[in-house]
Amino acid sequence: MVMNFDYLIKETARNLRRNLTLTLASVLTVAVSLSLLGVALLLQKGVSNATDRWENGVEFIIWIQPDVSESQRGLIETDLQNSSGIETYRYVDQEEALREFNEDFFPENPEITQLVTVDVIPPSYRVVPAQLNAEAIEIIASSFETKPGVKKVVRATDEISKIETATDVIRWVVLGAGIILLATGLLLILNTIRMAMFARRREIEVMKLVGATNWFILIPFMLEGTFQGIVGASLGTASVYGANRAFEEWLSSDNVLNILQSFAVTSGDVWGIGFLLLAIGGLVGSVGSAIAAYRFLDV
Amino acid sequence: MIKLEAVTKVYKGEVLALQDASCDIQKGEFVFLVGQSGSGKSTFLRLLNKEEEPDSGQIYIAGKEIGSLSRWRVPHMRRQIGSIFQDFKLLPNKTVSQNVAFALEVIGRPKHVIVDQVPAILELVGLQEKTNRFPHELSGGEQQRVSIARAFVNRPLILLADEPTGNLDPQTSVEIMRLLERINEIGTTVVMATHDRGIVDTMRRRVIELVSGEIVRDQARGVYE
Repeated sequence: MVMNFDYLIKETARNLRRNLTLTLASVLTVAVSLSLLGVALLLQKGVSNATDRWENGVEFIIWIQPDVSESQRGLIETDLQNSSGIETYRYVDQEEALREFNEDFFPENPEITQLVTVDVIPPSYRVVPAQLNAEAIEIIASSFETKPGVKKVVRATDEISKIETATDVIRWVVLGAGIILLATGLLLILNTIRMAMFARRREIEVMKLVGATNWFILIPFMLEGTFQGIVGASLGTASVYGANRAFEEWLSSDNVLNILQSFAVTSGDVWGIGFLLLAIGGLVGSVGSAIAAYRFLDV
Repeated sequence: MIKLEAVTKVYKGEVLALQDASCDIQKGEFVFLVGQSGSGKSTFLRLLNKEEEPDSGQIYIAGKEIGSLSRWRVPHMRRQIGSIFQDFKLLPNKTVSQNVAFALEVIGRPKHVIVDQVPAILELVGLQEKTNRFPHELSGGEQQRVSIARAFVNRPLILLADEPTGNLDPQTSVEIMRLLERINEIGTTVVMATHDRGIVDTMRRRVIELVSGEIVRDQARGVYE
């Protein structure tokens, strides 16, 4: 098929100009929906990064009373050794615990760390269970809870699942809103194209009459829709990138716990999400306009 | 060039637009299609460029049966058929030459062909002085000339005319008919639906008369009735 490139650009640009307000509405809707989608994806990536980091490390921690007696600690250690459900464990004494506390939590606030001394920091056992399912961990963990000399048993799974539940809710709400808005964007694009075709129905009639191919008639409209989708997606991607930058800035500021660092996503992830958003935007635009064009053209 | 075999067309299951119509039109013929409003003249023409599908029967254009044509081939078939109408169907926001050029642009003709062909055809229809006017600045007869130029610029084998003089005064109608005759003389098959008794009776060409969708008369060198 011979198609004049100038003609395509000219027609598409003219349609976009003619329908400026509707075009803007479509573009902005796609932009907002895709930035929500992007944020949901970032959140998911962040949580899974954090979860990975936790799951590869300690599964639960048995905090020992700082004033534990040697015999009590010996009993706990024997139990750890004899328990078949435990893969490995490691004793973290008070010195190491203090160092960890300083490094991990308040590296830039020496005034806080100065208040904490070796004798108030409890030693602990970091335990990796043989089975990594929540129920098995719970059985083993709770068996240590009542032993003399144990201050508290903290399961990493508890903390993870709290974070996961919280972010899951946020993620689904954001994802849901994003998808609803994306559907709105699709309908808006569909309508914009229908309006554009209605505005040009005389030309389309003449084109069909003199034997223009269906593709020739359809392609400018499909380009118009695709353009709207991609511009919307670009704006969405830009705002996702901006949101991530803001999050990173916040992470590197003084008053943020180091533990949140594990939520940071790599720039590769951000690029990946950006490309995905662009692809979705282009797809929504071309599909929306193709449906409109195909139905309205009555080929 | 055009052949109908027992073609029937029924609208919405009840309105009979064309009933068992058969005819054979040779290359280079000039045919008048006459009959009252609603007798099926427009349907006849619309079937020929596949704007409508017959309910039964076969239609051949240039030797090809068009019923079995895939809809993606229809545009190519239409390039062999020019159409003009009572209401001209010109694009109001385009000038005379842009209107004509449009017909070539949208079938992908290269620019040099367009630059070459458009002035030539405008000269043929006698509008070389008005190339940059807009349709609303032209008289009815001039607008119909533009529409003929657009229909003919691609040199189709067939020209279908649906009441082309319906909106024109008698003098202008005669001028338009002279133009259609010229186009016919260079080998184009012309099928023209009309109500204009004067034109049919003066020109004495083949006449096909439709009454309620039936061909009741097919007469060489005929008159209106």
